[in-house]
Amino acid sequence: MSKATFVARPKRAEPWTRLGSKVRLASLLTILVPASIFALFLFLTGTDFMAGLVTVFLPLQLLFGAWAGFYAFGKRGILDGLLLVITFFLAFFVLVMLASVLWSVIEAGFRAMSPHFIYQNNVYVSGKTGLEIGGAGHAIVGTSIVVGITSLVTVPLGVATAVYLTETRDFGRGTVRTLLQAMSAIPSVVAGLFIYSLLIISGWSGYSGLMGALALIPLMLPTVSRVAEESLRNVSRDLRNGALALGAPSYRAFLMVTLPAAQSGLVTAILLGIARVIGETAPLLLTMALANGTNANPLEGGMTTLPSYIFSFIALGDPSSIARAWGAALVLLIFVGLLFAAARVASAPKKVKKRSA
Amino acid sequence: MSNYHLETKDINVWFGERHVLKDVNLQFPNNKVTALIGPSGCGKSTFIRTLNRMHELIPSAGLAGEVLLDGKDIYGEAVDPVDVRIRVGMVFQKPNPFPTMSIKDNVMSGIKLSGITRSDTADLVEVSLKRAAMWNEVKDRLSDPAVSLSGGQQQRLCIARSLAMNPDVLLMDEPCSALDPGSTRRIEETILELKENVTIVIVTHNMQQAQRISDQTAFFLAEDNTPGYVVEFGETQQIFYGPIDPRTNEYVNGRFG
Amino acid sequence: MSMAPAKRKLLSKPSRVEDKIFFAVAKAAGYSSFVIIGMILVFLSIRAWPAFESQGVLNFTFGTFWDNSLTPPIFHIGPMVWGSLLIATLAVTIAVPMAISIAYFIEFLAPKFIAKIATVIVDLLAAIPSVVIGLWGLGIFSPVGAGWAQMLNESLSGVLPFLSNSAGTFLRSPFIAGIVLGVMIVPLISSVTREMFSQIDGELIKGALALGATRESVLRRVILPTSAGGILGGVLLALGRAMGETVAIFFVLNLTYDRFNFFNILEPVGGNIASLILAKFGEAAPIEVEALMAAGVVLFIITLIINALASYIVQKAQPWRKD
Repeated sequence: MSKATFVARPKRAEPWTRLGSKVRLASLLTILVPASIFALFLFLTGTDFMAGLVTVFLPLQLLFGAWAGFYAFGKRGILDGLLLVITFFLAFFVLVMLASVLWSVIEAGFRAMSPHFIYQNNVYVSGKTGLEIGGAGHAIVGTSIVVGITSLVTVPLGVATAVYLTETRDFGRGTVRTLLQAMSAIPSVVAGLFIYSLLIISGWSGYSGLMGALALIPLMLPTVSRVAEESLRNVSRDLRNGALALGAPSYRAFLMVTLPAAQSGLVTAILLGIARVIGETAPLLLTMALANGTNANPLEGGMTTLPSYIFSFIALGDPSSIARAWGAALVLLIFVGLLFAAARVASAPKKVKKRSA
Repeated sequence: MSNYHLETKDINVWFGERHVLKDVNLQFPNNKVTALIGPSGCGKSTFIRTLNRMHELIPSAGLAGEVLLDGKDIYGEAVDPVDVRIRVGMVFQKPNPFPTMSIKDNVMSGIKLSGITRSDTADLVEVSLKRAAMWNEVKDRLSDPAVSLSGGQQQRLCIARSLAMNPDVLLMDEPCSALDPGSTRRIEETILELKENVTIVIVTHNMQQAQRISDQTAFFLAEDNTPGYVVEFGETQQIFYGPIDPRTNEYVNGRFG
Repeated sequence: MSMAPAKRKLLSKPSRVEDKIFFAVAKAAGYSSFVIIGMILVFLSIRAWPAFESQGVLNFTFGTFWDNSLTPPIFHIGPMVWGSLLIATLAVTIAVPMAISIAYFIEFLAPKFIAKIATVIVDLLAAIPSVVIGLWGLGIFSPVGAGWAQMLNESLSGVLPFLSNSAGTFLRSPFIAGIVLGVMIVPLISSVTREMFSQIDGELIKGALALGATRESVLRRVILPTSAGGILGGVLLALGRAMGETVAIFFVLNLTYDRFNFFNILEPVGGNIASLILAKFGEAAPIEVEALMAAGVVLFIITLIINALASYIVQKAQPWRKD
């Protein structure tokens, strides 16, 4: 009668990773040969890199990939080899483009960055002024105020809509969901046009920060409500039913049980909603006037936000203005990055320490 | 020269650092049914996946030992797992026909997926469905979606598509546990017919089933926190009616599960 | 012999005041969506109506010329409508193969470590506001894109006439705008695709592998067919988003109002409804503003249709999904 005893896992316990010599040779050749031929070709003929990449490197690589598949695995390996080549090529291409976008923002943004960029405004700045004077301080203030007002309205509205969708049995729920989806289809410029036509043309109000904030509401609402609904839905029915069975009225069951349980999800909803609208430009350009100075009054006067700042300086076109635009872009990107990171932290599952009894 | 299509030598399995199967040496007699029985969690399903190189798809999987298919180790250096899987088929616990394909396309799916070309498609479909004992039920609706079949029929469809590959060995991982008794009975009848041409290895929780259909049985056991291993392996009659090891005796008489 | 007692109506109406308020507030919030969308459609249409009336709906949508100096002024957005569709289609055509490959790469090919890095890069891009993409498009990409356009033109315009160029410059062409837009929507399509890929029942893939499938046939015959509906829906959503995009392409596309540029993507002649609105808004007289409203209505209707189509396709294409 024997009991099996443990044996520690040996060093080489994965026999399937031992690629046959055929596979190794074929892979090596596929990686090295087309790249070397391409490099040689570039050197000898001086063709443009991109042109050569597509006309020389890609076909060579495809050919070698197909051959390598055939050599190592027979007829069925050809398509496999081609698939690997195509996927790696395209994926690499995409990653390079994306990295280029990210890198250029960081690099160009840094060049324009300085401590005073964060808090100074552009009252004394014109197209010719060097970067030592002026900044985006007023834009940061403007963004905070405008997005703040929008959130003040949209967050309660979005959460309440999510409550409507999950807690009530109303027959209109399906339609409301469809409407929210339609709302998320609104082009941002149309949202701006809407507020313009509703309030500004009719003379109710002039261009102001408040108008901009209102235009952002239909853009933020679908996001907040969708994520909030999901997180309320994820709260187990049993929790709520437990409260009801104890005799709690619906509103208490919601406020004291469901809401706290969905806390992190709701925080995520808010953060994602803010991230959605903080970079919106078009609706603000239609409802707000730009200003070079800092204005903390949302009811009158021009107010600049980070996105409209970027837009207006791109429009100016001279190198110094473009540099400022990059600087503001970096600031905006950092804000958005922080929001997304915070959302990720908020939605991560909480580790509960279990105490041993 | 080996007598067996399939046999294993000193198979040991790890998941990460955890040793889960120790020194499994089994020989599967040709054209017979071998059942693998034992309590849950003792490694039977893990073991069966080492026989068709599906084990390596699990992250952190580790293996030592040899699996010999017609005398050659399937984990050898130059062996293509696709070749192994063509010769050693598998039917899973939960029927998994391809939902985007019709019944007929599902039967041919193995052929298409492995890149084999055949010109006698219609014949192959008919032969495979007949071997799985479902030709008469579906012959008039071969183009219907596979998901329109009942659970038992779907499982027989999965058997048919594995058979279309003409494997030497068919592995079955608790193929009836998700099915009703009627479908179970039909599949057991099918297995008994199939074994004339195919060597079958079946993992089962159901000891009556093992007694009904298998020629040989292997009893796996894993005591708390130790790796699983084969306690006893022999003719089914002997395992169930005259086991040598007392633990086998306890298990087959239902004293623990 | 007795019959079952009559069925009673089970009431679940709120009885306490606080509950009544709770549900009333929730209901009001829900219905506010009706109000918001309703107001948008109504107000825009009211303001836009005079323009539709004076220009004629069909002429407005499909005709050419936008000139506020004539009497009566002509406001037609035909080239803009076509242009929006053209560059959105270009963007999607470029983005889809790239997005699907990177989703496949991340989900099935790459080792864990590399997959994580790639995911981070793609998700970061999704977060970049479109005005920043526009800045990148103008400052960094335009010269590069113009170079590619020139190469295409010089080598292939004989064979493919739509690659011709008569203006001498390739900047601000639909080609460049399409690529910039494509870069913007790759993360959108790739995240939908990755979601679809991760939801594929693992048993299907295991079943395919157990039958002896090669990597390529698993992709072609199992993965893609199963996720096709969802991916298509995602692609349409991205198309809708691309159509409504304003600032990303405002600086990289030259708007031309007097003629259609149907296929000559390398010419610096293009159109985009949203950019039109932004461009003309600043100095528009009231009558022009009405026309801009009308353009907004047209754009909104187009994106609504695309979105509705996307939802429908996702529902229809996957009848075996239990959700």
